[in-house]
Amino acid sequence: MKKEKFLSQLRTLFRLYKAAFYLRLFEEQLSKEYHPANQMQCPVHFCIGQEAVPSALKLLLKKKDYVFSHHRSHGYFYSKSLPLQKLVSELYGKKGGANSGFAGSQDISYPKGNFFSGAILSGAIGVAVGKALDMKLNSKNNVVIAGFGESACDVGLFWEAINFSNLRKLPILFICENNNYSVFSPQNKRQSGYDIFQKVQKFSLRSNSFQIDGNKINLVYKKIKKLIKLIKKKKGPFFLETITYRISSHYGPNSDLDVGYRSESELNKWIKKCPIKNLENFLINKKYLSHEKIANIQNKYSREIKSFIDNAKKDKFLLVKNLEKFNYDFDIFKKKKIKKITIPNYNLSVNKDKIVGY
Amino acid sequence: MKKHLISYSRAINEALDQSMKIDRNVYVIGQLVDYKPGVFGTTSDLVKKYGEKRVQDFPVAESLMTSMSIGMCLNQINKIVLVHHRIDFMLYSMDAIVNWISLWKFKSYKDTSLSITIRAIVGKGWGQGPQHSKSFHSWFANLPGIRVAIPSCPYDAKGFLIESIFSKIPTIIIEHRSLFEDKQLVPINPYRLEFGKANVVRKGNDLCIISIGYLTKFAINISDYYKKNFNITLEVIDVRTLSPIDKKTLIKSFLKIKKVIVLDPSWKSYGASAEIVAILQKSIKNKKKYFIERISYPDSHTPMSPKLESKFYISEKKIIKKIQELLNK
Repeated sequence: MKKEKFLSQLRTLFRLYKAAFYLRLFEEQLSKEYHPANQMQCPVHFCIGQEAVPSALKLLLKKKDYVFSHHRSHGYFYSKSLPLQKLVSELYGKKGGANSGFAGSQDISYPKGNFFSGAILSGAIGVAVGKALDMKLNSKNNVVIAGFGESACDVGLFWEAINFSNLRKLPILFICENNNYSVFSPQNKRQSGYDIFQKVQKFSLRSNSFQIDGNKINLVYKKIKKLIKLIKKKKGPFFLETITYRISSHYGPNSDLDVGYRSESELNKWIKKCPIKNLENFLINKKYLSHEKIANIQNKYSREIKSFIDNAKKDKFLLVKNLEKFNYDFDIFKKKKIKKITIPNYNLSVNKDKIVGY
Repeated sequence: MKKHLISYSRAINEALDQSMKIDRNVYVIGQLVDYKPGVFGTTSDLVKKYGEKRVQDFPVAESLMTSMSIGMCLNQINKIVLVHHRIDFMLYSMDAIVNWISLWKFKSYKDTSLSITIRAIVGKGWGQGPQHSKSFHSWFANLPGIRVAIPSCPYDAKGFLIESIFSKIPTIIIEHRSLFEDKQLVPINPYRLEFGKANVVRKGNDLCIISIGYLTKFAINISDYYKKNFNITLEVIDVRTLSPIDKKTLIKSFLKIKKVIVLDPSWKSYGASAEIVAILQKSIKNKKKYFIERISYPDSHTPMSPKLESKFYISEKKIIKKIQELLNK
């Protein structure tokens, strides 16, 4: 019995490993394509080093759950198990992209898959709270994930969101991936006093705000699993701060070492703490994984990712005559009258007669 | 169509009431909306009929309130009405309006639209001062992706509100506090008004007044006065919606009458009146035969004291002076 449980745990770990490994390869392959080819002409914020949260979410989220992300959006897109071809094509600005080239990497959304993102820090958190309120009012048993970095906690809107979701006990999980940097500026240069999770805790009388090592995928997985379960039991909201690190540069494929905000030794320290490598070593030790198997997986994944990139390159750009109309719901550009709303007992019609006289 | 005589604030209240009755997915959210006086009477009694779930008081967190409304209508079923007691307070929501709501549809390409109506009230008089009386209709009309209405009478207030609640386009409705007690015969049944249709409130041949918002009232009074006393007919056009704006009607009157005064209840520089003048100018070739003037607030903030305040706002006297100048040309 004990052995079975252990095996099932190993299976979960292996699934987590595969998810994180895939995401790492995906980001690395894209970042290799980013500059020399220069066909992805939009700011792309890679999440190399921050794979733990998205991989955990990937195993846990259901179709009807919602994810709201910041500009470092690829991991969250991936966590909703959405078609990655749509993501890659969007980076290339092509017709087949999730938003046909209207959004790009930092503004991508996939409404059919309940995934949204945006590049203004903390803005998407407010939107996420609204979705959670809607779920609560209409007794839906799903969760809303608001993912963001610690820089979003500089913003007032974040604190309004924390207050309100605690006030109304909303089914939302706030995940703060604390990678210590707002572009180049470290947290202690921008924030005072206690850690974010400690400050957030003060908004509730019960314990609902936590901090964990965000590079231990298994730990992150277990914690999020538990919190989602509690949220579904109407115990929300929860706040989770995961301490992690962005190995890639703020955006693009470099290391940012030339900027001077982080030292090479700091970077190397975190590369040693790489979430994927640790899990890989553990699984190899337990004889659940071998170098040969890893090579096989890598081959398979790389081929798939390459095919996404190739397809995106081959795809066409969307061309439109009238950009204005894409800003509004299409209805108003049709020449017909505004549609009647047919509702029993009411005859709502468009009233075009001119009114004279006050 | 049966009509009854009701005030501007009652017309808004009726629009909300009827919309909420028609569709149980309509929500009204704003500070103090669930108290008896409501927001100047416009939300009174709604909570009694539709409950706290649908008529929600909100913390003094305008930023969150507006951005939250996006999340609330992502199911493409909910229709959200947000109420701001003053447009000045609404400015905390600028990020939500400008960076999120206005471009939400655009950046998602075509899969989502937002049924959000933002009611923003502009204060005037009795020492409202510089933080309670600004009107930003031209700011918002400048923004693609949202519509802006500035109803001048109860009939418009009701019709545009119902239209925007049931449409899929985010809309800002700017309501002038000084109009709230004005009464008019308004259809009892709910109705929708089309955006982008200006209203020729008075027909005339000698001069055309194009007015925005509450100044329409002034224009009508002046037009009636001229007709009665001098048999001079002044056409009055209420612009009603600034985005989209009814270029056709404005140009038609301008070409017919050749003399136009634009009244704009806001600052002159870079404002809505400038846009209207640009629209009119483009329609003509021989500029010498045509005259356009505009009257708006000075490029200054609103002072508090009654004496200074009356100097700031547009008076009928000031409009008449300009009309005389133009009539003599």
